[in-house]
Amino acid sequence: MNAARLIFDLAGAIAVVFAGVMVVHRNPIKSLLAIVVTFFALAVGFVLLSAPFLAAIQVIVYAGAILVLFLFVTMLLNLQTEEETADRRPFQRFFALVGIVAFAGMLLAAVRRSGEAAGSSGLPPATGAIEPLAQALFSRAALPFEAVSVLLLASLTGAYILMRRERSGSAAP
Amino acid sequence: MTAADWAIVVLRPLVPVLGAAMAVPVLTWAERRGAGMIQDRPGPNRVGFFGWRAFGLGQPLADALKFFFKEDITPDNADAFLYTLAPWIVMFSALVGFAVIPYGPSIPIAGRSVPLVGADVPIGALFIFAMAGLSVYGIVLAGWSSNNKYSLMGGFRSAAQVISYELAMTTAAAGVFLSSSSLRLTRVVEAQQGSLLRWNVVPQFFGFLVFTIAAFAETNRVPFDLAEADAELVGGYHTEYSAFKFGAFFMAEYIAMTVGSAFIVTMYFGGWSLPFFHPRGLVGGLVSVAVFAAKTAFFLGVFIWVRWTLPRFRYDQLMRLGWKVLLPLAFANLLWAALLVRTGVL
Repeated sequence: MNAARLIFDLAGAIAVVFAGVMVVHRNPIKSLLAIVVTFFALAVGFVLLSAPFLAAIQVIVYAGAILVLFLFVTMLLNLQTEEETADRRPFQRFFALVGIVAFAGMLLAAVRRSGEAAGSSGLPPATGAIEPLAQALFSRAALPFEAVSVLLLASLTGAYILMRRERSGSAAP
Repeated sequence: MTAADWAIVVLRPLVPVLGAAMAVPVLTWAERRGAGMIQDRPGPNRVGFFGWRAFGLGQPLADALKFFFKEDITPDNADAFLYTLAPWIVMFSALVGFAVIPYGPSIPIAGRSVPLVGADVPIGALFIFAMAGLSVYGIVLAGWSSNNKYSLMGGFRSAAQVISYELAMTTAAAGVFLSSSSLRLTRVVEAQQGSLLRWNVVPQFFGFLVFTIAAFAETNRVPFDLAEADAELVGGYHTEYSAFKFGAFFMAEYIAMTVGSAFIVTMYFGGWSLPFFHPRGLVGGLVSVAVFAAKTAFFLGVFIWVRWTLPRFRYDQLMRLGWKVLLPLAFANLLWAALLVRTGVL
Protein backbone atom coordinates (compact mmCIF):
# COMPACT_ATOMS: atom_id res chain seq x y z
CA MET A 1 0.00 0.00 0.00
CA ASN A 2 1.62 3.27 -1.10
CA ALA A 3 1.14 6.82 0.18
CA ALA A 4 -1.34 7.80 -2.55
CA ARG A 5 -3.57 4.84 -1.71
CA LEU A 6 -3.41 5.71 1.99
CA ILE A 7 -4.49 9.31 1.31
CA PHE A 8 -7.23 8.07 -1.01
CA ASP A 9 -8.64 5.77 1.66
CA LEU A 10 -8.40 8.53 4.25
CA ALA A 11 -10.24 10.99 1.96
CA GLY A 12 -12.90 8.36 1.31
CA ALA A 13 -13.37 7.76 5.03
CA ILE A 14 -13.65 11.51 5.68
CA ALA A 15 -16.20 11.85 2.87
CA VAL A 16 -18.38 9.10 4.32
CA VAL A 17 -18.11 10.33 7.92
CA PHE A 18 -19.01 13.91 7.05
CA ALA A 19 -21.85 12.78 4.80
CA GLY A 20 -23.17 11.07 7.93
CA VAL A 21 -22.68 14.24 9.96
CA MET A 22 -24.63 16.11 7.29
CA VAL A 23 -27.61 13.83 7.76
CA VAL A 24 -27.70 13.70 11.56
CA HIS A 25 -26.52 17.16 12.65
CA ARG A 26 -29.27 19.27 14.22
CA ASN A 27 -27.96 22.65 13.07
CA PRO A 28 -28.64 23.24 9.33
CA ILE A 29 -25.56 25.46 8.94
CA LYS A 30 -23.29 22.79 10.39
CA SER A 31 -24.98 20.22 8.13
CA LEU A 32 -24.11 22.36 5.12
CA LEU A 33 -20.51 22.73 6.24
CA ALA A 34 -20.28 18.97 6.71
CA ILE A 35 -21.29 18.46 3.08
CA VAL A 36 -18.63 21.01 2.05
CA VAL A 37 -16.03 18.86 3.80
CA THR A 38 -17.42 15.81 1.99
CA PHE A 39 -17.09 17.56 -1.37
CA PHE A 40 -13.50 18.44 -0.55
CA ALA A 41 -12.69 14.87 0.37
CA LEU A 42 -14.26 13.78 -2.95
CA ALA A 43 -12.07 16.33 -4.77
CA VAL A 44 -9.00 14.79 -3.14
CA GLY A 45 -10.22 11.43 -4.39
CA PHE A 46 -10.59 12.80 -7.92
CA VAL A 47 -7.03 14.13 -7.87
CA LEU A 48 -5.68 10.74 -6.83
CA LEU A 49 -7.75 9.10 -9.58
CA SER A 50 -5.83 11.33 -12.06
CA ALA A 51 -8.80 13.60 -12.74
CA PRO A 52 -7.51 16.96 -11.44
CA PHE A 53 -9.86 18.92 -13.70
CA LEU A 54 -12.88 17.20 -12.21
CA ALA A 55 -11.48 17.96 -8.73
CA ALA A 56 -11.11 21.66 -9.53
CA ILE A 57 -14.59 21.84 -11.02
CA GLN A 58 -16.00 20.00 -8.02
CA VAL A 59 -14.54 22.61 -5.66
CA ILE A 60 -15.31 25.66 -7.84
CA VAL A 61 -18.87 24.73 -8.82
CA TYR A 62 -20.18 22.71 -5.88
CA ALA A 63 -18.23 24.00 -2.89
CA GLY A 64 -17.49 27.47 -4.26
CA ALA A 65 -20.81 28.41 -5.83
CA ILE A 66 -23.80 26.11 -5.22
CA LEU A 67 -23.23 25.45 -1.53
CA VAL A 68 -22.43 29.11 -0.88
CA LEU A 69 -25.89 29.94 -2.25
CA PHE A 70 -27.40 27.21 -0.06
CA LEU A 71 -25.60 28.71 2.92
CA PHE A 72 -26.86 32.12 1.90
CA VAL A 73 -30.50 31.01 1.83
CA THR A 74 -30.21 28.99 5.04
CA MET A 75 -28.74 31.96 6.88
CA LEU A 76 -31.40 34.31 5.50
CA LEU A 77 -34.15 31.97 6.72
CA ASN A 78 -32.30 31.88 10.05
CA LEU A 79 -33.03 28.22 10.76
CA GLN A 80 -31.42 27.61 14.11
CA THR A 81 -32.51 24.02 14.62
CA GLU A 82 -34.47 21.60 12.51
CA GLU A 83 -38.18 22.21 12.63
CA GLU A 84 -40.34 19.11 12.75
CA THR A 85 -38.84 15.66 12.63
CA ALA A 86 -41.81 13.40 13.35
CA ASP A 87 -42.79 11.44 10.23
CA ARG A 88 -46.42 11.89 9.36
CA ARG A 89 -46.74 8.76 7.26
CA PRO A 90 -45.82 5.43 8.90
CA PHE A 91 -44.80 3.75 5.63
CA GLN A 92 -42.03 6.35 5.05
CA ARG A 93 -39.56 4.42 7.16
CA PHE A 94 -40.23 1.20 5.30
CA PHE A 95 -39.62 2.84 1.90
CA ALA A 96 -36.48 4.56 3.23
CA LEU A 97 -35.15 1.16 4.28
CA VAL A 98 -35.92 -0.34 0.85
CA GLY A 99 -34.16 2.61 -0.79
CA ILE A 100 -31.06 2.21 1.39
CA VAL A 101 -30.80 -1.53 0.72
CA ALA A 102 -31.24 -1.06 -3.04
CA PHE A 103 -28.66 1.72 -3.18
CA ALA A 104 -26.17 -0.26 -1.06
CA GLY A 105 -26.62 -3.22 -3.43
CA MET A 106 -25.97 -1.06 -6.50
CA LEU A 107 -22.92 0.50 -4.85
CA LEU A 108 -21.53 -2.88 -3.86
CA ALA A 109 -21.96 -4.23 -7.39
CA ALA A 110 -20.25 -1.16 -8.86
CA VAL A 111 -17.34 -1.42 -6.43
CA ARG A 112 -16.86 -5.13 -7.12
CA ARG A 113 -16.83 -4.62 -10.88
CA SER A 114 -14.43 -1.65 -10.78
CA GLY A 115 -12.04 -3.64 -8.59
CA GLU A 116 -11.49 -6.09 -11.47
CA ALA A 117 -10.75 -3.34 -14.00
CA ALA A 118 -8.25 -1.32 -11.97
CA GLY A 119 -4.51 -2.02 -11.77
CA SER A 120 -2.54 -3.66 -9.00
CA SER A 121 -2.55 -0.59 -6.73
CA GLY A 122 -6.29 -0.20 -7.22
CA LEU A 123 -5.68 3.23 -8.79
CA PRO A 124 -5.33 3.96 -12.52
CA PRO A 125 -1.99 5.31 -13.80
CA ALA A 126 -1.46 9.10 -13.82
CA THR A 127 -2.47 10.84 -17.04
CA GLY A 128 -3.48 14.30 -15.81
CA ALA A 129 -6.06 14.39 -18.55
CA ILE A 130 -7.70 17.71 -19.37
CA GLU A 131 -7.05 17.64 -23.13
CA PRO A 132 -8.81 14.29 -23.80
CA LEU A 133 -11.82 15.57 -21.87
CA ALA A 134 -11.89 18.77 -23.93
CA GLN A 135 -11.47 16.78 -27.16
CA ALA A 136 -14.39 14.51 -26.31
CA LEU A 137 -16.53 17.40 -25.09
CA PHE A 138 -16.18 19.39 -28.31
CA SER A 139 -16.23 16.56 -30.86
CA ARG A 140 -17.88 13.27 -29.91
CA ALA A 141 -20.08 14.69 -27.13
CA ALA A 142 -20.65 18.11 -28.71
CA LEU A 143 -24.35 17.56 -29.39
CA PRO A 144 -25.31 16.27 -25.91
CA PHE A 145 -23.17 19.03 -24.40
CA GLU A 146 -25.06 21.71 -26.32
CA ALA A 147 -28.37 20.01 -25.54
CA VAL A 148 -27.59 20.28 -21.83
CA SER A 149 -26.75 23.98 -22.26
CA VAL A 150 -30.12 24.55 -23.93
CA LEU A 151 -31.86 22.61 -21.15
CA LEU A 152 -30.15 24.75 -18.51
CA LEU A 153 -31.10 27.92 -20.37
CA ALA A 154 -34.70 26.71 -20.61
CA SER A 155 -34.90 25.99 -16.88
CA LEU A 156 -33.29 29.34 -16.09
CA THR A 157 -35.85 31.15 -18.24
CA GLY A 158 -38.62 29.06 -16.69
CA ALA A 159 -37.58 29.98 -13.16
CA TYR A 160 -37.45 33.63 -14.14
CA ILE A 161 -40.92 33.53 -15.74
CA LEU A 162 -42.42 31.79 -12.69
CA MET A 163 -40.97 34.42 -10.39
CA ARG A 164 -42.19 37.28 -12.56
CA ARG A 165 -45.73 35.96 -12.81
CA GLU A 166 -46.05 35.94 -9.04
CA ARG A 167 -45.01 39.57 -8.85
CA SER A 168 -46.98 40.89 -11.82
CA GLY A 169 -50.26 40.18 -9.99
CA SER A 170 -50.06 43.54 -8.23
CA ALA A 171 -47.89 45.50 -10.63
CA ALA A 172 -49.42 44.54 -14.02
CA PRO A 173 -51.70 47.08 -15.70
CA MET B 1 14.02 9.73 -2.00
CA THR B 2 17.07 11.22 -0.33
CA ALA B 3 17.07 13.96 2.28
CA ALA B 4 17.95 16.56 -0.39
CA ASP B 5 14.93 15.52 -2.49
CA TRP B 6 12.64 15.85 0.51
CA ALA B 7 14.08 19.25 1.37
CA ILE B 8 13.44 20.45 -2.20
CA VAL B 9 9.88 19.10 -2.22
CA VAL B 10 9.12 20.88 1.07
CA LEU B 11 10.91 24.14 0.25
CA ARG B 12 9.49 24.67 -3.27
CA PRO B 13 5.99 25.64 -2.06
CA LEU B 14 7.17 26.96 1.32
CA VAL B 15 9.45 29.69 -0.07
CA PRO B 16 6.74 31.70 -1.90
CA VAL B 17 4.18 31.16 0.87
CA LEU B 18 6.60 32.41 3.53
CA GLY B 19 7.65 35.21 1.20
CA ALA B 20 4.03 36.33 0.90
CA ALA B 21 3.54 36.08 4.67
CA MET B 22 6.66 38.12 5.34
CA ALA B 23 5.60 40.77 2.84
CA VAL B 24 2.56 41.53 5.03
CA PRO B 25 4.27 43.80 7.63
CA VAL B 26 6.04 45.76 4.90
CA LEU B 27 2.75 46.06 3.01
CA THR B 28 0.84 47.42 6.00
CA TRP B 29 3.59 50.01 6.40
CA ALA B 30 3.59 50.82 2.67
CA GLU B 31 -0.20 51.12 2.72
CA ARG B 32 -0.19 53.70 5.51
CA ARG B 33 2.77 55.63 4.16
CA GLY B 34 1.12 55.57 0.72
CA ALA B 35 -2.14 56.80 2.24
CA GLY B 36 -0.17 59.58 3.93
CA MET B 37 1.48 60.56 0.67
CA ILE B 38 -1.83 60.67 -1.20
CA GLN B 39 -3.56 62.59 1.57
CA ASP B 40 -0.66 65.04 2.02
CA ARG B 41 0.39 63.94 5.53
CA PRO B 42 3.41 61.94 6.75
CA GLY B 43 1.78 58.66 7.82
CA PRO B 44 3.47 56.50 10.50
CA ASN B 45 7.06 57.79 10.70
CA ARG B 46 8.00 57.54 14.39
CA VAL B 47 8.33 53.90 15.48
CA GLY B 48 11.84 52.80 14.61
CA PHE B 49 14.62 50.68 16.06
CA PHE B 50 16.90 51.75 18.97
CA GLY B 51 16.41 55.48 18.55
CA TRP B 52 16.62 55.34 14.73
CA ARG B 53 13.27 56.25 13.20
CA ALA B 54 13.75 54.15 10.05
CA PHE B 55 10.90 55.92 8.23
CA GLY B 56 8.45 54.32 10.66
CA LEU B 57 9.33 50.74 9.63
CA GLY B 58 8.96 49.65 13.26
CA GLN B 59 5.22 50.38 13.12
CA PRO B 60 4.19 46.90 11.83
CA LEU B 61 6.04 45.31 14.78
CA ALA B 62 4.15 47.53 17.22
CA ASP B 63 0.87 46.61 15.46
CA ALA B 64 1.66 42.90 15.71
CA LEU B 65 2.36 43.25 19.45
CA LYS B 66 -0.95 45.07 19.83
CA PHE B 67 -2.81 42.21 18.12
CA PHE B 68 -1.20 39.74 20.53
CA PHE B 69 -1.96 41.62 23.72
CA LYS B 70 -5.48 42.88 23.10
CA GLU B 71 -8.36 41.05 24.76
CA ASP B 72 -9.64 38.15 22.66
CA ILE B 73 -13.43 38.51 22.77
CA THR B 74 -16.01 35.93 21.75
CA PRO B 75 -19.55 37.38 21.89
CA ASP B 76 -21.92 35.59 24.29
CA ASN B 77 -24.35 34.33 21.66
CA ALA B 78 -21.75 33.61 19.01
CA ASP B 79 -21.17 30.12 17.64
CA ALA B 80 -17.76 29.74 19.28
CA PHE B 81 -16.46 26.98 17.00
CA LEU B 82 -17.27 28.68 13.69
CA TYR B 83 -16.34 32.08 15.12
CA THR B 84 -12.83 30.78 15.82
CA LEU B 85 -12.57 28.80 12.59
CA ALA B 86 -13.65 31.57 10.17
CA PRO B 87 -10.51 33.78 10.18
CA TRP B 88 -8.31 30.74 9.58
CA ILE B 89 -10.38 29.65 6.56
CA VAL B 90 -9.78 33.09 5.04
CA MET B 91 -6.09 32.91 5.92
CA PHE B 92 -5.71 29.40 4.47
CA SER B 93 -7.46 30.23 1.22
CA ALA B 94 -5.23 33.29 0.78
CA LEU B 95 -1.94 31.52 1.52
CA VAL B 96 -2.45 28.31 -0.43
CA GLY B 97 -2.90 30.06 -3.80
CA PHE B 98 0.84 30.71 -3.90
CA ALA B 99 1.60 26.99 -4.05
CA VAL B 100 0.96 26.82 -7.82
CA ILE B 101 2.30 30.19 -9.10
CA PRO B 102 5.69 29.81 -10.83
CA TYR B 103 8.17 32.30 -9.36
CA GLY B 104 11.24 31.48 -11.44
CA PRO B 105 12.75 29.18 -14.10
CA SER B 106 14.37 25.84 -13.36
CA ILE B 107 17.63 26.27 -11.43
CA PRO B 108 20.40 23.73 -10.80
CA ILE B 109 20.63 22.73 -7.12
CA ALA B 110 22.83 19.83 -5.98
CA GLY B 111 22.97 18.32 -9.46
CA ARG B 112 19.21 18.48 -10.01
CA SER B 113 17.16 20.82 -12.13
CA VAL B 114 14.62 22.32 -9.74
CA PRO B 115 11.66 24.21 -11.24
CA LEU B 116 10.84 27.25 -9.11
CA VAL B 117 7.15 26.57 -8.59
CA GLY B 118 5.45 25.02 -5.56
CA ALA B 119 3.58 22.38 -7.56
CA ASP B 120 3.32 22.45 -11.34
CA VAL B 121 -0.19 21.01 -11.49
CA PRO B 122 -2.03 20.67 -14.82
CA ILE B 123 -5.02 22.63 -13.48
CA GLY B 124 -2.80 25.46 -12.13
CA ALA B 125 -5.02 28.49 -12.55
CA LEU B 126 -8.22 26.61 -11.63
CA PHE B 127 -6.61 25.69 -8.30
CA ILE B 128 -6.22 29.38 -7.47
CA PHE B 129 -9.82 30.10 -8.48
CA ALA B 130 -11.05 27.21 -6.35
CA MET B 131 -9.07 28.29 -3.30
CA ALA B 132 -9.97 31.97 -3.69
CA GLY B 133 -13.63 30.92 -3.81
CA LEU B 134 -13.16 29.34 -0.40
CA SER B 135 -12.50 32.64 1.31
CA VAL B 136 -16.24 33.32 0.93
CA TYR B 137 -16.91 30.60 3.51
CA GLY B 138 -14.63 32.27 6.00
CA ILE B 139 -16.28 35.66 5.51
CA VAL B 140 -19.88 34.38 5.46
CA LEU B 141 -19.28 32.19 8.51
CA ALA B 142 -17.58 35.03 10.36
CA GLY B 143 -20.63 37.17 9.63
CA TRP B 144 -23.12 34.53 10.67
CA SER B 145 -21.35 33.13 13.75
CA SER B 146 -20.83 36.61 15.25
CA ASN B 147 -24.59 36.84 15.82
CA ASN B 148 -24.57 40.48 14.80
CA LYS B 149 -26.73 41.92 12.03
CA TYR B 150 -23.99 44.15 10.67
CA SER B 151 -21.64 41.19 10.48
CA LEU B 152 -24.29 39.10 8.71
CA MET B 153 -24.96 41.85 6.15
CA GLY B 154 -21.25 42.11 5.44
CA GLY B 155 -21.00 38.36 4.96
CA PHE B 156 -23.94 38.33 2.53
CA ARG B 157 -22.57 41.19 0.49
CA SER B 158 -19.22 39.50 0.22
CA ALA B 159 -20.71 36.19 -0.92
CA ALA B 160 -22.82 37.80 -3.65
CA GLN B 161 -19.92 39.94 -4.79
CA VAL B 162 -17.32 37.20 -4.97
CA ILE B 163 -19.62 34.84 -6.88
CA SER B 164 -20.56 37.58 -9.37
CA TYR B 165 -17.01 38.68 -10.06
CA GLU B 166 -15.63 35.16 -10.17
CA LEU B 167 -17.56 34.63 -13.42
CA ALA B 168 -16.01 37.65 -15.14
CA MET B 169 -12.58 36.71 -13.81
CA THR B 170 -12.62 33.11 -15.05
CA THR B 171 -14.05 34.16 -18.43
CA ALA B 172 -11.26 36.72 -18.84
CA ALA B 173 -8.70 34.09 -17.83
CA ALA B 174 -10.10 31.70 -20.46
CA GLY B 175 -8.68 34.00 -23.15
CA VAL B 176 -5.20 33.51 -21.71
CA PHE B 177 -5.69 29.75 -21.59
CA LEU B 178 -6.69 29.82 -25.27
CA SER B 179 -3.55 31.67 -26.33
CA SER B 180 -1.22 29.47 -24.27
CA SER B 181 -3.33 26.33 -24.97
CA SER B 182 -2.90 25.13 -21.39
CA LEU B 183 -4.14 25.73 -17.85
CA ARG B 184 -0.66 24.97 -16.55
CA LEU B 185 0.79 28.21 -15.20
CA THR B 186 4.40 27.34 -16.14
CA ARG B 187 3.13 26.90 -19.70
CA VAL B 188 1.29 30.26 -19.52
CA VAL B 189 4.59 31.95 -18.57
CA GLU B 190 6.49 30.02 -21.28
CA ALA B 191 4.04 31.17 -23.97
CA GLN B 192 4.72 34.81 -23.08
CA GLN B 193 8.51 34.69 -23.43
CA GLY B 194 10.63 36.21 -26.18
CA SER B 195 8.97 39.52 -26.92
CA LEU B 196 7.08 42.24 -25.13
CA LEU B 197 4.27 41.80 -27.67
CA ARG B 198 3.76 38.25 -26.46
CA TRP B 199 2.80 39.41 -22.97
CA ASN B 200 -0.91 38.72 -22.80
CA VAL B 201 -1.63 42.28 -21.70
CA VAL B 202 -0.90 43.51 -25.25
CA PRO B 203 -3.21 41.32 -27.38
CA GLN B 204 -5.79 40.90 -24.60
CA PHE B 205 -5.82 44.30 -22.95
CA PHE B 206 -9.54 44.19 -22.11
CA GLY B 207 -9.13 40.73 -20.65
CA PHE B 208 -6.41 42.15 -18.41
CA LEU B 209 -8.68 45.04 -17.42
CA VAL B 210 -11.56 42.74 -16.46
CA PHE B 211 -9.24 40.32 -14.67
CA THR B 212 -7.60 43.06 -12.60
CA ILE B 213 -10.89 44.72 -11.63
CA ALA B 214 -12.29 41.32 -10.64
CA ALA B 215 -9.13 40.63 -8.63
CA PHE B 216 -9.81 43.81 -6.65
CA ALA B 217 -13.37 42.62 -6.04
CA GLU B 218 -12.21 39.14 -4.97
CA THR B 219 -9.90 40.61 -2.32
CA ASN B 220 -12.70 42.86 -0.96
CA ARG B 221 -10.51 45.93 -1.41
CA VAL B 222 -11.72 49.47 -2.08
CA PRO B 223 -13.65 50.30 -4.25
CA PHE B 224 -15.23 46.87 -3.68
CA ASP B 225 -15.02 46.68 0.11
CA LEU B 226 -18.78 46.65 0.70
CA ALA B 227 -18.33 43.64 2.96
CA GLU B 228 -16.72 45.89 5.56
CA ALA B 229 -18.18 49.25 4.55
CA ASP B 230 -17.49 51.13 7.78
CA ALA B 231 -19.97 53.93 7.14
CA GLU B 232 -22.93 51.53 6.93
CA LEU B 233 -21.87 48.28 8.61
CA VAL B 234 -19.50 49.38 11.41
CA GLY B 235 -16.84 46.88 10.34
CA GLY B 236 -18.89 44.39 8.33
CA TYR B 237 -18.10 40.72 8.79
CA HIS B 238 -15.30 41.38 11.30
CA THR B 239 -17.20 43.84 13.52
CA GLU B 240 -17.05 41.52 16.55
CA TYR B 241 -13.51 40.30 16.04
CA SER B 242 -10.61 41.47 18.18
CA ALA B 243 -7.01 40.61 19.00
CA PHE B 244 -5.34 37.97 16.89
CA LYS B 245 -8.51 36.71 15.23
CA PHE B 246 -8.93 40.18 13.76
CA GLY B 247 -5.22 40.15 12.98
CA ALA B 248 -5.76 36.99 10.94
CA PHE B 249 -8.41 38.71 8.79
CA PHE B 250 -6.13 41.71 8.45
CA MET B 251 -3.14 39.62 7.38
CA ALA B 252 -5.25 37.49 5.03
CA GLU B 253 -6.32 40.61 3.14
CA TYR B 254 -2.71 41.52 2.43
CA ILE B 255 -1.75 37.98 1.53
CA ALA B 256 -4.72 37.77 -0.85
CA MET B 257 -3.52 41.04 -2.40
CA THR B 258 -0.07 39.54 -2.91
CA VAL B 259 -1.47 36.38 -4.49
CA GLY B 260 -3.77 38.48 -6.69
CA SER B 261 -0.86 40.63 -7.87
CA ALA B 262 1.33 37.59 -8.53
CA PHE B 263 -1.55 35.98 -10.44
CA ILE B 264 -2.03 39.10 -12.62
CA VAL B 265 1.73 39.19 -13.30
CA THR B 266 1.77 35.50 -14.24
CA MET B 267 -1.28 35.70 -16.49
CA TYR B 268 -0.67 39.00 -18.30
CA PHE B 269 2.88 40.24 -17.69
CA GLY B 270 5.09 37.27 -18.48
CA GLY B 271 5.53 36.06 -14.89
CA TRP B 272 9.21 35.88 -13.95
CA SER B 273 10.44 36.38 -17.54
CA LEU B 274 11.75 39.50 -19.24
CA PRO B 275 11.78 39.77 -23.06
CA PHE B 276 15.54 40.21 -23.55
CA PHE B 277 16.79 38.29 -20.56
CA HIS B 278 17.65 34.59 -20.77
CA PRO B 279 18.36 33.32 -17.25
CA ARG B 280 21.26 30.88 -16.94
CA GLY B 281 22.13 28.83 -13.88
CA LEU B 282 21.62 29.74 -10.24
CA VAL B 283 22.27 33.48 -10.57
CA GLY B 284 19.93 33.82 -13.56
CA GLY B 285 17.27 31.98 -11.60
CA LEU B 286 17.61 34.27 -8.61
CA VAL B 287 17.48 37.36 -10.84
CA SER B 288 14.25 35.97 -12.36
CA VAL B 289 12.78 35.59 -8.86
CA ALA B 290 13.71 39.23 -8.21
CA VAL B 291 12.04 40.25 -11.50
CA PHE B 292 8.89 38.38 -10.44
CA ALA B 293 8.96 40.04 -7.01
CA ALA B 294 9.42 43.48 -8.58
CA LYS B 295 6.48 43.00 -10.98
CA THR B 296 4.31 41.76 -8.08
CA ALA B 297 5.38 44.73 -5.94
CA PHE B 298 4.31 47.07 -8.73
CA PHE B 299 0.76 45.69 -8.69
CA LEU B 300 0.69 45.81 -4.90
CA GLY B 301 1.47 49.49 -5.32
CA VAL B 302 -1.48 49.80 -7.70
CA PHE B 303 -3.73 48.12 -5.10
CA ILE B 304 -2.67 50.71 -2.49
CA TRP B 305 -2.89 53.60 -4.94
CA VAL B 306 -6.45 52.67 -5.95
CA ARG B 307 -7.57 52.24 -2.35
CA TRP B 308 -6.72 55.80 -1.40
CA THR B 309 -7.93 57.31 -4.67
CA LEU B 310 -11.36 55.87 -5.46
CA PRO B 311 -14.55 56.06 -3.37
CA ARG B 312 -16.56 52.95 -2.51
CA PHE B 313 -19.23 51.67 -4.93
CA ARG B 314 -22.87 51.50 -3.99
CA TYR B 315 -24.20 47.94 -3.93
CA ASP B 316 -26.38 48.26 -7.07
CA GLN B 317 -23.49 49.92 -8.93
CA LEU B 318 -21.25 47.03 -7.94
CA MET B 319 -23.69 44.45 -9.29
CA ARG B 320 -24.35 46.42 -12.48
CA LEU B 321 -20.62 46.75 -13.17
CA GLY B 322 -20.02 43.05 -12.61
CA TRP B 323 -22.87 41.63 -14.67
CA LYS B 324 -23.55 44.28 -17.34
CA VAL B 325 -20.06 45.60 -18.07
CA LEU B 326 -17.32 43.20 -16.99
CA LEU B 327 -18.96 39.91 -18.00
CA PRO B 328 -19.87 41.00 -21.58
CA LEU B 329 -16.41 42.57 -21.92
CA ALA B 330 -14.82 39.30 -20.80
CA PHE B 331 -16.85 37.37 -23.39
CA ALA B 332 -15.85 39.84 -26.12
CA ASN B 333 -12.23 39.36 -25.07
CA LEU B 334 -12.65 35.58 -25.27
CA LEU B 335 -14.00 35.84 -28.85
CA TRP B 336 -11.16 38.20 -29.74
CA ALA B 337 -8.58 35.79 -28.32
CA ALA B 338 -10.18 32.92 -30.24
CA LEU B 339 -10.00 35.01 -33.43
CA LEU B 340 -6.30 35.77 -32.82
CA VAL B 341 -5.49 32.13 -32.19
CA ARG B 342 -7.53 31.03 -35.21
CA THR B 343 -5.78 33.47 -37.56
CA GLY B 344 -2.38 32.46 -36.19
CA VAL B 345 -1.47 35.82 -34.66
CA LEU B 346 -0.97 34.17 -31.26
